[in-house]
Amino acid sequence: MDSESLLRKRYADSSDEELTFLARQGFTYVAWALLQEEMTRRGLPQPAPEVADVAVKTPYVSQPVFTGAGGEYFRIWSVNLLLTLSTLGVYSAWAKVRKARYFRNNTQLDGHAFDYHGNPVAILRGRLLALVLFTAYSWAFAFSKVAGLVTVLVLCSAGPWLVMRAQQFALGNTSFRGLRFGFRAQPRQAYAALLPVLVLWLSPAVAGVFMTEPWWLGWTVLGIPWMHHRLKAFQRGHASYGDQAFTFTPSALRFYAVYAKGVGFVFIGSLVGGLVLAALFAARRGADPIFGLSSIESLIYGGVAVLFMYVMAGPYYAARVQQLVWSRTRLGDVRFLTVIKAWPLFRLVFRNAALTVLTAGVYWPWAAIAMARYRIESVRVESAAPLATLAGGIQAAVSALGEGAADAFGLDIGL
Amino acid sequence: MSPPAFPATRFDGVRADALAVMLSVEDGRLVVAATDGAVLEREPVEGIGISEPFANAPRLIALPGGATLEAPDGGGELLRALLDAGMRVSPVVRLRDWPAAVALALAALVALLAFAYLEGVPLGARWAAFAMGPRLEQRMGGELLSVLDAHYFRSSGLTLSRREAIATRFAQGAAAVAPGTPYRLEFRAAGPRVVNAMALPGGVIVLLDGLVEFAIQEDAVLGVLGHELGHVVHKHGTRQVLQSVGVGAAAGLLWGDFAGSAASAPVAVGLLRYSRDFEREADDFAIAFLRSQNLSAEAVHGFFVRMRDRQRDEIGAIPEFLSSHPSTDERIERFRVEMERR
Repeated sequence: MDSESLLRKRYADSSDEELTFLARQGFTYVAWALLQEEMTRRGLPQPAPEVADVAVKTPYVSQPVFTGAGGEYFRIWSVNLLLTLSTLGVYSAWAKVRKARYFRNNTQLDGHAFDYHGNPVAILRGRLLALVLFTAYSWAFAFSKVAGLVTVLVLCSAGPWLVMRAQQFALGNTSFRGLRFGFRAQPRQAYAALLPVLVLWLSPAVAGVFMTEPWWLGWTVLGIPWMHHRLKAFQRGHASYGDQAFTFTPSALRFYAVYAKGVGFVFIGSLVGGLVLAALFAARRGADPIFGLSSIESLIYGGVAVLFMYVMAGPYYAARVQQLVWSRTRLGDVRFLTVIKAWPLFRLVFRNAALTVLTAGVYWPWAAIAMARYRIESVRVESAAPLATLAGGIQAAVSALGEGAADAFGLDIGL
Repeated sequence: MSPPAFPATRFDGVRADALAVMLSVEDGRLVVAATDGAVLEREPVEGIGISEPFANAPRLIALPGGATLEAPDGGGELLRALLDAGMRVSPVVRLRDWPAAVALALAALVALLAFAYLEGVPLGARWAAFAMGPRLEQRMGGELLSVLDAHYFRSSGLTLSRREAIATRFAQGAAAVAPGTPYRLEFRAAGPRVVNAMALPGGVIVLLDGLVEFAIQEDAVLGVLGHELGHVVHKHGTRQVLQSVGVGAAAGLLWGDFAGSAASAPVAVGLLRYSRDFEREADDFAIAFLRSQNLSAEAVHGFFVRMRDRQRDEIGAIPEFLSSHPSTDERIERFRVEMERR
């Protein structure tokens, strides 16, 4: 598909609010193309532009290509898993590097592949540190209040710095066209952005120690989208590629919208799923569909339905967050968009979940590849000039900030 | 005859723009030449870093000077030329490309997991529980009891003489079957219909008023306490905590990336099997306890029969694989056999 038809399809797929959002970005090439298209659709005559500066040229749209294959990844996965288990987890750091290389090497943008350079020993160091912190946090309160509070204090004081280092490691070890990505946040910025998030996140655990019924702490749940937004803004806003900086346009409200949709979806879906399951089972036994069930049976069926919805809703929600985050991210004049439609995604997720369960987990590598292909190939990169032309103006970063840090220890925070 | 040349892209590591080059392998060296034929690099094959070969991904080659090469190498000829020139391949990659090894790895994986689940995790947890100092366990149990006290339990409504009678008879039995095992009997009350007793890590046994009232006969209460003492002697509480850590780690490793929530379901079901084993072990202990005190299993048997009936009325039958206790019928049968043995 050429860039024009891609773009047309992209706009046809966009919601009204998304189009409005793009249009509000000012008269860039995107808005120009949109305007032209909309005018054609309505049969309006198209006047020649008076300002030559309004890029008349159509933006260039590139779609990343994922070339991974399930059968090949299956071989890597099984050998990785065996070595990890038989070394009691030590090999997991090497396995992580092989996996990251497989996915990055098989992702191509504009005909060039990404690469990963993480040092397994650094990752192992990071994993040990994470294990200690996680174990401490999970069990400290079981031993004593003081131990628990000390752990919370340690987490609060080290947390932002750790997230910063994790991001430096992940980006600093990823390369494209011979140049590294990077993360240029200062510790000061990390604490300013993330300390409030951590305090809010840990406050229920701390309050639960001192108060018997801190039900009112449920309000911290309402802060989760805000926390997620703040974290994403931090991770994207300080990212860089070569000497170019990424920018992130904040919008906490949109995170709330995505979360609200996700929660409503799980709620309605599990209600329907639970009722259908119960009716099926009851019909088989000839009892009243709802009230004929014993309480334990309805609990079990409801639980199965919720679990089912959770497995389905998780990837949907992740895709929506991906869409939102990318639409707010820019690299100079380069813009990113994600084209994800609910039904194709559901079919994929359902197929993955069903086959993984039916094959007792053996299908998992194929599922991971299919999911990666869907997510990677749904991204569109829009630029005013071909990417190869733009690349001529990008150089390696001069400042060495974060470069040494990228080698010290590799934390692997799945955020 | 000149060696075959392979098209590639060269990035200098300073700028992002690409340079089209031709690669060839001559006398154990990788030669990088510009399209006009000018030689840019001539590096010994041992000194270059090459990415793990994947079927559809390009070869990514790191040169010592900081430049990188990207060669499509669709047919794998470049890789073969480099291997012929003496480039080493990691044994792990060779394992991957050998189908028999992959099949073997899968079989070994399944065997390893089965062994870990059936034997390794219970053994490891058992070892750790008995190696762990008693103070750590007591701390865990004490902390757990204070949480339960704050949220769930009320103080017992039984008369002091009733409590003393139960405690004294229990102490006699404990001294006979588990001499030297430290335990602490705590009386508590919860909701009116909560019929339960439990053993916490560190030897705390909690007996709820609901159970004493429901049991009617004191012998049944003693049988249940003997069961809980079995949990204490075998350190089941601590082992349960340790096992959940072990199984959780393994499940996360296997399915963690797919969906963290889905990974927790097999963990929960997997742990129930351990729990049922513990309950059977504790039932054995309860029977030994009753024998030592010359008590009939009849009271305990009657207690379980009435529990089963009440459960059926209230919540219906639970399939065994979803239950943390052996099916009530199985337990009733065991105590019936014990009852008739005498």
